[in-house]
Amino acid sequence: MNSIDRRSFLKSLTAASGAAVLSIPSALASNPKARVVVVGGGFGGATVAKYLRQLDPGIDVTLIERETRYTSCPLSNEVLSDSRDIKTLQTGYERLARRGVKMVHAEVTGIDPVGKKVTVTDGTTFGYDALVVSPGVDFNYAAIKGLTQEISDTQLPHAWKAGAQTLLLKKQLAAMPDGGRFIIAVPKGPLRCPPGPYERAAQVAMYCKHHGKKKAKILILDSNDSFSKRPLFEEAWKALYGYGPTGMIEWVSGSSGGIVEEVDPTGMTCRTTFDEHKADVLNVIPPHHAGKIARTAGLTNSGAWCAVKPMDLESTAHKDVYVIGDSCVGGEVSTGNGFPKSAHMANSQAKVVAASLVAKFNALPAPVPVYTNTCYSVVDHDWGFSVVHLFRVENNQWVYIKEGSGISPVTIGTGKAAKPVPRIHRKIEAQYAAGWLNNLMADSFG
Amino acid sequence: MYKTILSLLLIGLTGAAQARGDIEPLARTCNGCHGVGGVSASGPMPSIGGLPKDYLRQIMKQWKYGERSAITMDRILKGFSDDQIDDLAEYFSKQRWVPSPQAAPDAVLAKGKTAASANCRDCHGLTGNDPDVGVPRINGQWARYMELELMKYRSGEFKMTHRKMKQAARDMKPEDVSATARYYGAQSK
Ligand SMILES: Cc1cc2nc3c(=O)[nH]c(=O)nc-3n(C[C@H](O)[C@H](O)[C@H](O)COP(=O)(O)OP(=O)(O)OC[C@H]3O[C@@H](n4cnc5c(N)ncnc54)[C@H](O)[C@@H]3O)c2cc1C
Ligand code: HEC
Ligand code: HEC
Repeated sequence: MNSIDRRSFLKSLTAASGAAVLSIPSALASNPKARVVVVGGGFGGATVAKYLRQLDPGIDVTLIERETRYTSCPLSNEVLSDSRDIKTLQTGYERLARRGVKMVHAEVTGIDPVGKKVTVTDGTTFGYDALVVSPGVDFNYAAIKGLTQEISDTQLPHAWKAGAQTLLLKKQLAAMPDGGRFIIAVPKGPLRCPPGPYERAAQVAMYCKHHGKKKAKILILDSNDSFSKRPLFEEAWKALYGYGPTGMIEWVSGSSGGIVEEVDPTGMTCRTTFDEHKADVLNVIPPHHAGKIARTAGLTNSGAWCAVKPMDLESTAHKDVYVIGDSCVGGEVSTGNGFPKSAHMANSQAKVVAASLVAKFNALPAPVPVYTNTCYSVVDHDWGFSVVHLFRVENNQWVYIKEGSGISPVTIGTGKAAKPVPRIHRKIEAQYAAGWLNNLMADSFG
Repeated sequence: MYKTILSLLLIGLTGAAQARGDIEPLARTCNGCHGVGGVSASGPMPSIGGLPKDYLRQIMKQWKYGERSAITMDRILKGFSDDQIDDLAEYFSKQRWVPSPQAAPDAVLAKGKTAASANCRDCHGLTGNDPDVGVPRINGQWARYMELELMKYRSGEFKMTHRKMKQAARDMKPEDVSATARYYGAQSK
C-alpha cells in the first residue's frame, strides 16, 4: 500500500459508486493476499466472484463453471407462452473476466477440504484459501418410479433448469391439441423457486388461451398442501383462465391425491396415491437437492441441503467452505420462514459472503449481514405480483423480519372498507418484473 | 490506511452510521433492482443514485408509513428503521447521477419537448437536470419508469402526495404522456 498515493486513493473513494470501485495498483494484484475459488457460475457464484473483485482487487478469484453460457431460470416460464425469447435470458462470462475473475469452464469433480483444493474433470487442481460453493440443484429422478434423467431429457421434461428442457417443453405445449391435458407435477418442498410451478401454470394457460387451445386443461398435481402467493395466484387464475374443476387450471393438493409416485412415458400417464392421470404433456419436476458436488464433498451432512452459519454462510461441515444459493438452508426454518431458493436470494447471499471474506482477509471486523429477496411472478402480459423477504441476524441466529416481508396485497383497506387491489397495480408490477430481471442479471453477471 | 479505506467500503463506517450498523451492505441490497451505485440498467426500474437527499428520505418515509402508494418499495421499506432510511438517503444522494439517455424518434421528441416546455419546465427544468428544490432529476431517467409513475399520478387509484405534481400529471393530454417521458428520458445531460 506504500506505493499508493494517499490523496488520489482517498479521492477515488469519495467518487466511488455503489459497491465502490477501488483502483488498486496492479502490483497488489500480482501478489494476491488470498485465493478464492468459486464453484458454479449461476446467480450465486457469479455475484460472489464479481463483488470479491470489486471490493478488493487484491484477491485472486477463480470461477469454475461447466457451461460457457448461462440461462436464467427466472422468467423462463415466459418462454413457454411465447412471450419471451430464451436468448433474452442468456449471458456469457466476458464481463466477469474483464473484472479479473479467472474463468475456468470445467466440471468440478472433487473438493478436498483438508488439503484445501478442488479438482476438475481433467485432473487439474486449484488450491484455495476460501471456497464458495454455489452449484444450484440436482434432481432425484429415482424418487419417481419410471423416471430417469434420459426420460426427463427427452420425453417428460422438468424444465426446472432453464435451457434445452425449457425448449422441449415449449415444443410439446405447442404441439398439444385443443382439449389436451398439461400436467405439472410438483415435488415436496423445499423447492427451487417456490412460486415457480404456479407461475408456470398461468403461462401455459396464457399460451393456450391465445393459441386456439381454449379447451385445454392444466392440472397441477402437488405434493404440498399449500403454496407461495396462493391468494394472488388463485385470484389471477380465476379472473384470467378459469380455476377449479371446470376451469382451465386445476390444483390438486398433496393430501387430496396430488403426490405423483410413478410415471409411464409410453402411455403418457402418471399415478398418484389415489388416481391415474392421462396427459398430453407431462411436466414432471422431480424432488431436488443440493448440487451433486455439494453432496459428494460432504457438505450436506447426509441430508438434501447444506447447513451454513448465519453470519457468513460458512458450511457447518467444513471450515473455509461457504455454501450459497439453492444448495444452502438458512432463515427461520423452525417457523416455516426459511430462505426461499431464489435467484435474488442467491445474489443477496453472495454479497454477504463477499463482504465477509474481504473483511476476513484484511483483518477487519465482520460486516453485519442482511439478507433480502424479492420474487416476481408474471401470470399474463400485464399481470404480475411479488413477494418480499427480509432476514437479519441476531445473536447468531437468523430472524425473519415480518414487517419487511410479504406478498403484494390482495385487498386495500381493512374490515368492511377492504376492496380488491385495483387492476392497475398488477399491470405495473408485471413491468417491474421485467426490469428486475435485467438489473439482477446485470448485478450478477455484469 | 488501506484498512481504513476498505472498512469504509465494506461497511461504510461514518459517525452516527457506525452506531446504527452498516450502510454499505444494506445499500448493496438495492443493486439487484436499482443497479450498482443506483444506476439502473433497465427501463421499468428507476435510477436512484444522485437524487436529492431530502427527496430520497421523504419518499422512502412516506412509503414506510403508508402515506404514499407503491407497488413494491413500500413492503421493502417497512422492515427498515428510520435511521437506516436516513442513511440510505444520504448514501444514494452522494452517488453520481448518471443519465441513461434513450433514443426516440424526432417526432416523439418534438412532441415531448412542447409538452415539457408548457407544463413541466417550471419545476423540472427543460431538460430535467435543473430541478427546483425537492424535485427529483429526470434527465436520462428511464422513460418506461416515468411513464409508469405518470400512470400512477393520473389514475386516481394511488395515494400520491405532491399536489401540484399530481395536478400537472392529470392536466396532461393522454397522447402527451409517453412522448414527454421519452423526451426527458432522452436527455443526456
Ligand atoms: C422456472 C423457474 C423460475 C424461476 N423464477 C425465479 C424468479 O422469478 N425469481 C428468482 O429470484 N428466482 C427464480 N428461480 C430460482 C432461481 O433460478 C434459482 O434460485 C437460482 O438460479 C439459484 O442460484 P444458484 O447459484 O444457487 O444456482 P444456479 O443458478 O443453478 O447456478 C449453478 C451453476 O453451477 C454450475 N455447476 C453445478 N455443479 C457444477 C460443478 N460440479 N462444476 C462446475 N459447475 C457446476 C451449473 O452449471 C450452474 O451454472 C426460478 C427457477 C425456475 C426453475
Ligand atoms: C425488488 C426490487 C427492488 C429493490 C430490491 C429495491 N427497490 Fe427501490 N424501487 C423498486 C420499484 C419497483 C420502484 C418503483 C416504486 C414502486 O415500488 O412502485 C422503486 C423506487 C424506488 C425509489 C424512488 C425512485 C424515484 O426516482 O423516485 C427509491 C428512492 C428507491 N426505490 C430506493 C430503494 C432503496 C434505497 C433500496 C434498497 C434498500 C431499494 N429501493 C431496493 C424496486 C426495488
Ligand atoms: C409544480 C411543480 C411540478 C410540475 C409543474 C411538474 N412536476 Fe413532476 N414532480 C414534481 C415534484 C415535486 C416531484 C416529486 C414528487 C414527490 O415528492 O413525490 C415530481 C416528480 C415527477 C416524476 C417522478 C420522478 C421520479 O423520479 O420518480 C415524474 C416522471 C415527473 N415529475 C414528470 C413530470 C412531467 C412530465 C411534468 C409535466 C407534465 C411534471 N412532472 C410537472 C414537481 C412538478
